[in-house]
Amino acid sequence: MTFPSLLASAVAPPLFSPPTPHRRRPHRRERLGMKTLRLMTVGGTIAYRALFNWTTPGMFIGTLLVGPLFQLLFFAYLGRQLQVADDRFYIVGNAVLTASLACVFGGTMAVANERRYGTLGHVLLSPRSRTAIFWGRVIPYAGNGLLIAVVTLTAGALLLGLRIPVSALPGLLLAMAAGSLACGFFGLTLGALGLRFRDVWVVSNVAVALLLLLTGVNVPAAGLPGWMVTVGNALPITHAAEAARRLAAGDGLAAAAPALGQELLVGAGYAAAAVILLKIFEVESRRRASLDAL
Amino acid sequence: MRSLRLLVVGTLLHAKHLSRSPFEVTIALVVPVVQATLAVYLFRAGGEQHRLLEAAVGAGVMGVWSSVLFGSGGAIQDQRWQGTLEMIMLAPRRPVLIILPITIATGVVGTYALLTTLLWGRLLYGIRLEFAHPVAFVVAAVVCVVALGMFGLLLAATFVLMRNANALANTLEYPVWLVSGMLVPITVLPAWTAPIAAVLPTTWGARALREATSGGPVWPSVAVCLGISVLCLALGAVALTHVERRARAAATLALA
Amino acid sequence: MGSEYAIEAEDLRRTYRARTGWLRPRRTEVEAVRGVSFTVGRGELFGLLGPNGAGKTTTIKLLNTLLIPTSGMARVCGHDVEKETREVRRRIGYVFGGDRGLYDRLSALDNLRYFAELYGVAPRDQKRRIAELLDLVGLAGREGERVEGYSRGMRQRLHIARGLLHAPDVLFLDEPSIGVDPVAARELRRTVADLASTGTTVLLTTHYMAEADELCDRIAVIADGQIQALGTPAELRRRADGRRVVEVEAYGVPESAVDAVRDLPGVRETAVEARGALQLLTVHSDAHVDVQSDVLRELAGIRLGRVDSREPTLEDAYVAIVSAS
Repeated sequence: MTFPSLLASAVAPPLFSPPTPHRRRPHRRERLGMKTLRLMTVGGTIAYRALFNWTTPGMFIGTLLVGPLFQLLFFAYLGRQLQVADDRFYIVGNAVLTASLACVFGGTMAVANERRYGTLGHVLLSPRSRTAIFWGRVIPYAGNGLLIAVVTLTAGALLLGLRIPVSALPGLLLAMAAGSLACGFFGLTLGALGLRFRDVWVVSNVAVALLLLLTGVNVPAAGLPGWMVTVGNALPITHAAEAARRLAAGDGLAAAAPALGQELLVGAGYAAAAVILLKIFEVESRRRASLDAL
Repeated sequence: MRSLRLLVVGTLLHAKHLSRSPFEVTIALVVPVVQATLAVYLFRAGGEQHRLLEAAVGAGVMGVWSSVLFGSGGAIQDQRWQGTLEMIMLAPRRPVLIILPITIATGVVGTYALLTTLLWGRLLYGIRLEFAHPVAFVVAAVVCVVALGMFGLLLAATFVLMRNANALANTLEYPVWLVSGMLVPITVLPAWTAPIAAVLPTTWGARALREATSGGPVWPSVAVCLGISVLCLALGAVALTHVERRARAAATLALA
Repeated sequence: MGSEYAIEAEDLRRTYRARTGWLRPRRTEVEAVRGVSFTVGRGELFGLLGPNGAGKTTTIKLLNTLLIPTSGMARVCGHDVEKETREVRRRIGYVFGGDRGLYDRLSALDNLRYFAELYGVAPRDQKRRIAELLDLVGLAGREGERVEGYSRGMRQRLHIARGLLHAPDVLFLDEPSIGVDPVAARELRRTVADLASTGTTVLLTTHYMAEADELCDRIAVIADGQIQALGTPAELRRRADGRRVVEVEAYGVPESAVDAVRDLPGVRETAVEARGALQLLTVHSDAHVDVQSDVLRELAGIRLGRVDSREPTLEDAYVAIVSAS
């Protein structure tokens, strides 16, 4: 099974038509000269959606800590209202999911920024191992995602009064780390795909929205149609959230291990997919001599 | 009369400009559909199959809010980046007449979300589009868009004063969905959120649309929504005048 | 009408304050305009000439209400730019160079329609006025296309059409020919000249000497935020009277040689300009001193191209004024 084709079938077709009118935008904006500006205007001008500049404290706290916490509260209260599942299901699942925002966008940026700043050609043509370079770029974003997930889980549990056994904490940390890493590689794959489609941020925005639905974090898998569950199983977070829920329920690491393993497998799959895509892209661009057009 | 004409022409042209951005339109169409799908399965899992039309409408209104929040919140910044801010602020008009069409246009673009979620619900999930008060629904939708546009003006004027406005916008999407009860009224929220909900035009707009969908008085909610929004418009107009003067003093109209 | 002048500026000053860094914010102040005074008569074509960063754009923005002066006073058509903003805006048009400032995903026609509405052009006049202007700037027939497909020159012409929609009394043109190809620039100059001949007051900023020389009734040379000289092109040219100019094309002139030339008796200014592989050395001297042989002696051993001794032009006058500031 190839993940990219799966993903392609899950997103709306317009994304894959060549958006020609966009072509000129980055070129003209180049002249503005400011790094942040260029990033900000990458995919329209909406900060959240293009997720520029996390470097100011306000931006980081607002976008990556407070925003996700509200997301968790939204679904937790929705779940309480509709009596779909208990607090633990929503709090733990959404906390794991909050890592996805930073990780998917981060992974995408790892590729997209290279292109944006005109350095992709150099990286692709450098004699060093490209695999290592790109995988390495994912790590900080995954670490960031893990931090966000931990903060969100702590805040969510305190606010909504969820008790988590202390013995479950190391395992939970492991589950969230696995989810973050898998998400980072997923983002890297999207970024690589994005080399083919001019507006990579549309792809990552849609992907982040789809994760809400397909990972079974907000609708229990039993309530989703079979094909969505299948797609969800090939997405990051799904298994990490499952493992985290088991751990938070006090089931112990042994009970969570299979799901944890699956999450790592999914992550490894995307890590491989990203590298293969980048390789293919490199070969193609050499043949077509299109590296400078990036 | 001239002012009304400016509002209408301005709104249409800004909506046209926004509608031609592949990014904006894809986000406006795809994300709400994902949200609506989520809502449908949540409602089904919660044994509320009979309220699926509400779910589709609710998800659409959530899309309208997202469009207004990000579009209006960043309206002035957007114009600045395009280099059009100086050009439009130089017009011999009150600032509110210049910016309001832009924020209403973000509401208009938000209706794509509402239309898409309804169409998608009809086609994929066979949700019958049987509204309790069809005419009232259309009126409520129009009022809701204009009202949120007015609210958007207040956002535009206040966000531009803040250094980290984008961070604020990023945090305000979910809480407003939650507190306003856009998808479904949340009776299990803490009591202290009730006054906040009561002063948000989004609460009343969503309520009016829900009442028009599944039965209820509609008009009182429409009136309250409009009333609060006009108040926001007035506050926004004052803030905007202040903003314009400050920008001329601090040289922040252009990029430089 | 009120005032006999279209534009009056009295001791205009403008300071920019900036804050940098969020951990330890530092405040910096830059004085962009430092006491600028001048008047422009009705129907006059007035040029503001100066190097980049001289304060041209700031001066224009102080006059067209986009900036509030830090101190000093300015009036346009007799209305104070700070207090009677709307009165001023009704009477002015503003066009800047470059290709931003338009709605890219809209057609030229839609752009003009929108700005016509904004600038209060009466609905019944809009159609005719827009058609006239499209004709004037040579975009008729292409008005239905989206602006994102336009060339730089076309955008620039659309900008001009936009600035003229409400038939302003005073038109501010900020570096209109920047980045425009020579043919388009010439057409642009013709359009500007036509406007001035029909009674529109034009304030033009530019750093192209020829443009200012060809178009302007009077020119103010601005450098360092202050007016260094003001007069008709002929008057300014006289600033370089009593001078002679020697131009030498050379390949690889060392800094030491330039310094040596600079120290020659009778030499007033020396400038080196890189032109591809060669360097153009321009030496201003007192008219009664022939420095050519001295200059060539200092450059001995360096490969030289054309050597020329000539009367000063407006450009030389400009160089003299700016380098004296």
